Amino acid sequence: MSTLLEVSGVSVSFDGFKAINNLTFQIGEAEMRAVIGPNGAGKTTFMDIVTGKTRPDEGHVLWGEKSQSLLSMSESQIAQAGVGRKFQRPTVFEDQTVAENLMLALKKKRGPLAVLGFRASGADQKRVVELAEEIGLSAALDRKSGELSHGQKQWLEIGMLLAQEPKLLLVDEPAAGMTPAEREHTTEILVEAAKTRAVVVVEHDMEFVRRLNCKVTVLHEGSVLAEGSIDHVTSDEAVIEVYLGR
Amino acid sequence: MTDTTLAPARQPIVKRYPVVLVFLGCLALFTLGITVLSEGFGIGVISTSFIKTLGKTLCLCLVALAMDLVWGYCGILSLGHMAFFGIGGYAIGMWLMYARTEIIVVQSLAAAPLPPTAQEISDGIATQIFGVVGASEFPPIWAFAHSLPLQLAAVVLVPGLLALVFGWLAFRSRVTGVYLSILTQAMTLALALYLFQNDSGLRGNNGLSGLQNLPGLGHVPQSTVSIWFFWASALALGLGFVLCTWVVSGKFGSVIRAIRDDESRVRFLGYPVEAYKLFVFTLTAVIAAIAGALYYPQAGIINPAEIAPIASIYLAVWVAIGGRGRLYGAVIGAAFVSLLSTYFTGGQAPDINLGFYTIQWVNWWTVLLGLSFVVVTLFAPKGLGGLFDLIAARTSPNRHGADLGPDVGALREKEAEK
Repeated sequence: MSTLLEVSGVSVSFDGFKAINNLTFQIGEAEMRAVIGPNGAGKTTFMDIVTGKTRPDEGHVLWGEKSQSLLSMSESQIAQAGVGRKFQRPTVFEDQTVAENLMLALKKKRGPLAVLGFRASGADQKRVVELAEEIGLSAALDRKSGELSHGQKQWLEIGMLLAQEPKLLLVDEPAAGMTPAEREHTTEILVEAAKTRAVVVVEHDMEFVRRLNCKVTVLHEGSVLAEGSIDHVTSDEAVIEVYLGR
Repeated sequence: MTDTTLAPARQPIVKRYPVVLVFLGCLALFTLGITVLSEGFGIGVISTSFIKTLGKTLCLCLVALAMDLVWGYCGILSLGHMAFFGIGGYAIGMWLMYARTEIIVVQSLAAAPLPPTAQEISDGIATQIFGVVGASEFPPIWAFAHSLPLQLAAVVLVPGLLALVFGWLAFRSRVTGVYLSILTQAMTLALALYLFQNDSGLRGNNGLSGLQNLPGLGHVPQSTVSIWFFWASALALGLGFVLCTWVVSGKFGSVIRAIRDDESRVRFLGYPVEAYKLFVFTLTAVIAAIAGALYYPQAGIINPAEIAPIASIYLAVWVAIGGRGRLYGAVIGAAFVSLLSTYFTGGQAPDINLGFYTIQWVNWWTVLLGLSFVVVTLFAPKGLGGLFDLIAARTSPNRHGADLGPDVGALREKEAEK
């Protein structure tokens, strides 16, 4: 399996505080990975670095077959290259309908002139309807997304991510604020997505991670503490010490 | 039920947005009505000066449309769009002044025993135009003033380029919100101060005058010329409305509204936010300049005071009072407030004698305007355009006071539609 994303020797500090310390991380093209760690372990900063929001002080972030460096690219270029991100708090465009939100995310040309002349084809509209079905929002296509419940917004954002057709999905606490049934569905979607692309899930909830049934990376103080199956890392002495607190 | 959002693409714009048809209908009726009542072409009930006021108002409506596009839809509170409006006016004013002075100079030299040389004519024009600032030579920026096509190109190109360069610098550095507003205001102020100087090449604080006289058409009465400009302004407003509606409809509109409400999220979707802002900023600057080029021949005079930051602030006030984020709201706001302003500051409004104090509207109008701005912002954020929501029974969502996005320009709860 070839490597899709390679983060090597990355460090970043904010006012002297080392948020990420010599972090090295790799993920393959169709792989699910859970990233866990206590608060302040650098999980969100790690995502910020990959998506271009934060520039690291040192290290490399290489992408794809051509080993392109993501560090010289802007957020939008990285997103266009195929990195999709879901934030902790659901962020959808609340003044716009569910259909508009999905149409915005659909993988199309992103330049202003291309978008100005854009007309949704039948296939695009069909895709939007399909996505809405997948995330259980078919009946809400014409509703403003600001009216949706918290859980539905989470869904919509996941739907937007799928619409982007990213090669790498970065998901920050997808199950936060969801009912058990909704979590079940989220797990299914993520597992399904990981068959064709890389998925990195940052999560606090151990039960949720266990259900994902994938390789787990434990972060602590900005670097990798342990890596392996969930059973492997939860039996690791160091992990128990810092994270599980037992 | 998905018809409204998912099958809009193949229909013409007027079908998707009936408001365009209604607007164009109202504008056509208004234009026709005014023409019939005018001195030049009709029964003469409305004076030529009032025709000019109405024509100017239409131009102000056009620049308000541009402001609504850049602020109401894209969230960029520009306090510099009246500078682009002014530059448009200067660009057309240079040709009007040059060409008219040329005719006068040629006439006066015709009586001389020897036919005048080109140099003599040029010197004569320069002395006529720049005598007032103590110069008698053409500054370099007047190089194209002899040519109407070139100055018309300048109406579009100069503000367009200025907006492009300024916008590129500002957006690239990710200056947003209040800081961007301050930056645009500083640009406007700098431009105004520069133009106030006598050696700026544009006659300092005298500005350009006599713009109401069309060169070569001295025999046509102002009553006729005023109607021509009135028609041109109405046409420009109509076209501007269709253009702006087209821009904000469809996916482009969706992207810029998303930028207004949550710009970093748009970036993570892969849209180059800066390019969109630059596009909208430049496009609206050009629209503003065209409006200015139609306005100043009707006003007859342009001077640097017209470009002062206060003009751009008024522009934002019109759009706010009309209702941000809806194009007809901007038009209504600009028309309503500027006509009211003409009424109050023109000395037509009767003073109110309170016994111990007399309220003179010429002075107190600004206070009234300021108060109404505060009242609209606090109690009727949808502005005058919101009155149509009462008719259409559209309501605001109940979001417990939360805005529709994290950015400064994001729609507030009461501005949104459910």
